[in-house]
Amino acid sequence: MRWFDDFFERQARNVALKTSRRSALLRIGRVMVGTAFLLPVLPFDRQPRAQHGAIDDGKHDPLDPERCEYWRYCSLDGTLCTCCGGSITTCPPGSEPSSVTWIGTCHNPEDGKDYLVSYNDCCGGASCGHCFCNQNEGERPGYRMGIHNDINWCMGNESSVYHCTVSVVLGESGAKAG
Amino acid sequence: MKRVSTSILTGLALLLGCRLAMAELQPETLTVGKLPPANPHRIYLSDLGGLGHVVDGRIHLVDGDSYKYLGAIPAAMFALTALSPDSSEMYLATTYYTKLNRGKRFDQFEVYDTATLKLKSEIEIPAKHAQALPYKGTMVSTADGRFVIIQNATPASSVTVVDRKAEKFVTEIETPGCWIILPAASNARRFATLCGDGTLLTVTLDDDGQAVSQQRSAKLFDAEKDPLFVQAEHIGDSYYFVSYEGNLHQINVGGDTAVLEDKWSLVDDADRAAKWKPSGYQLTALHAPSKRFYVAMHDNAYDGSHKNPAKEIWVFDLATKQRIQRAPGSNSVAMALSKEEKPVLFTYDGMTAEFVRYDTVPELKPGARSKPVGEFAGLVQLH
Repeated sequence: MRWFDDFFERQARNVALKTSRRSALLRIGRVMVGTAFLLPVLPFDRQPRAQHGAIDDGKHDPLDPERCEYWRYCSLDGTLCTCCGGSITTCPPGSEPSSVTWIGTCHNPEDGKDYLVSYNDCCGGASCGHCFCNQNEGERPGYRMGIHNDINWCMGNESSVYHCTVSVVLGESGAKAG
Repeated sequence: MKRVSTSILTGLALLLGCRLAMAELQPETLTVGKLPPANPHRIYLSDLGGLGHVVDGRIHLVDGDSYKYLGAIPAAMFALTALSPDSSEMYLATTYYTKLNRGKRFDQFEVYDTATLKLKSEIEIPAKHAQALPYKGTMVSTADGRFVIIQNATPASSVTVVDRKAEKFVTEIETPGCWIILPAASNARRFATLCGDGTLLTVTLDDDGQAVSQQRSAKLFDAEKDPLFVQAEHIGDSYYFVSYEGNLHQINVGGDTAVLEDKWSLVDDADRAAKWKPSGYQLTALHAPSKRFYVAMHDNAYDGSHKNPAKEIWVFDLATKQRIQRAPGSNSVAMALSKEEKPVLFTYDGMTAEFVRYDTVPELKPGARSKPVGEFAGLVQLH
């Protein structure tokens, strides 16, 4: 999957740096149709929040990376690597980044700008299970695979065991789509 | 007083005697229990098993009348699950690694007997089954039960065809950009799938399970502005989808290419003003004889709320296209209707992991609630 990884990263960065969110999604869609390879998203969903959910004390702090409401997590659907031994941009020790990722567009309240965010899953080893979040801004069903998150994006890795998810800023997305 | 004391002493002595007699238990024999005969309220709940241990999913069996836990079917990793057309079997498409969480990946199609919960058949399939939430339609048998079609994702989309008669893997068919399997009722060699450009792709098989034709429809829905939820109900060849904005799409998949038969809105102006929209995972149910259609709805919708638990369940009459009832939603994220003349609707509460049992006749009315079942559960199926 190396070629695909490189291919996608190149595409994503080009898109990230040059275009608005809507045209980015359109371009990604074209890439998808053109290659029959679809862009990635995150893992599945749902579980009673009370069981292993991230902190939920009613304070929706968009600047706390251990909360689901953290601004970068606007389309993150999975467990937070910040609660699993990693950070926003690092996978926990012993795991590996997913070979495919998906791109969300999230609004940073600190500088008022929108950013394209790459959601890599971290894969292999034991599953983490801490700090589950289920955010779905811009999410679409599986026929728009590039923006679908009810699937395991470790699927292309040597071990597809899902561990947790990071959110890496790729660049500013340009004008916010309406 | 003395008489009373004597009575008490006599009573105690008798009690002690009984206890001593009861203490002598007979040697016991260990047996394996049998499931009670299935009834239309037996619930199968597909559970990925929890994000802390994704390698060991399972399907829970629960009696919907008593909410007694009946047993479980092991489902391994990210299994797709589906009952056979007659509910006598449970199909799984799942992943194993030779060393639990590492080593060689291999995927299998498996068949469990729903009367004994014993494995009946296992067939190795390409190691690319969609490691997705177990959405309805990700694995479906053809109308005659001969072939089972399994959704793949690498993330490129394709389907695997398994022959139940020969008990073997047949082929893989590429379905780029398309998702979910919608078998035709009138043609047991045909299925359609929803595609990202708003078309449907119709695939026709030969008697060996090989694809002999693939036809794209016209654009039947707006995947950009008003995407369809993939979970669909059908009467014959007509599938009923709801869209993010609350438009019901009736699409017929019986012919060489799929056609849009009808489209109408589930919401009126007042609903729209309050931002009522459909939401959930398994968010609709249909009783074909009465044409009653059940949809999970929430208000104050926003971008990203399309999987939220239901605030209400709305009941529509598909014949008149009228909403006939609004009922409490019980935080439903999944629902299934029993196959009966007067069906029961079971919903699964996304906040508490409990089932809620609704009567549907004379009107939709929530009743008994179960204890929590499942850790990371999705699809609800009824026998």
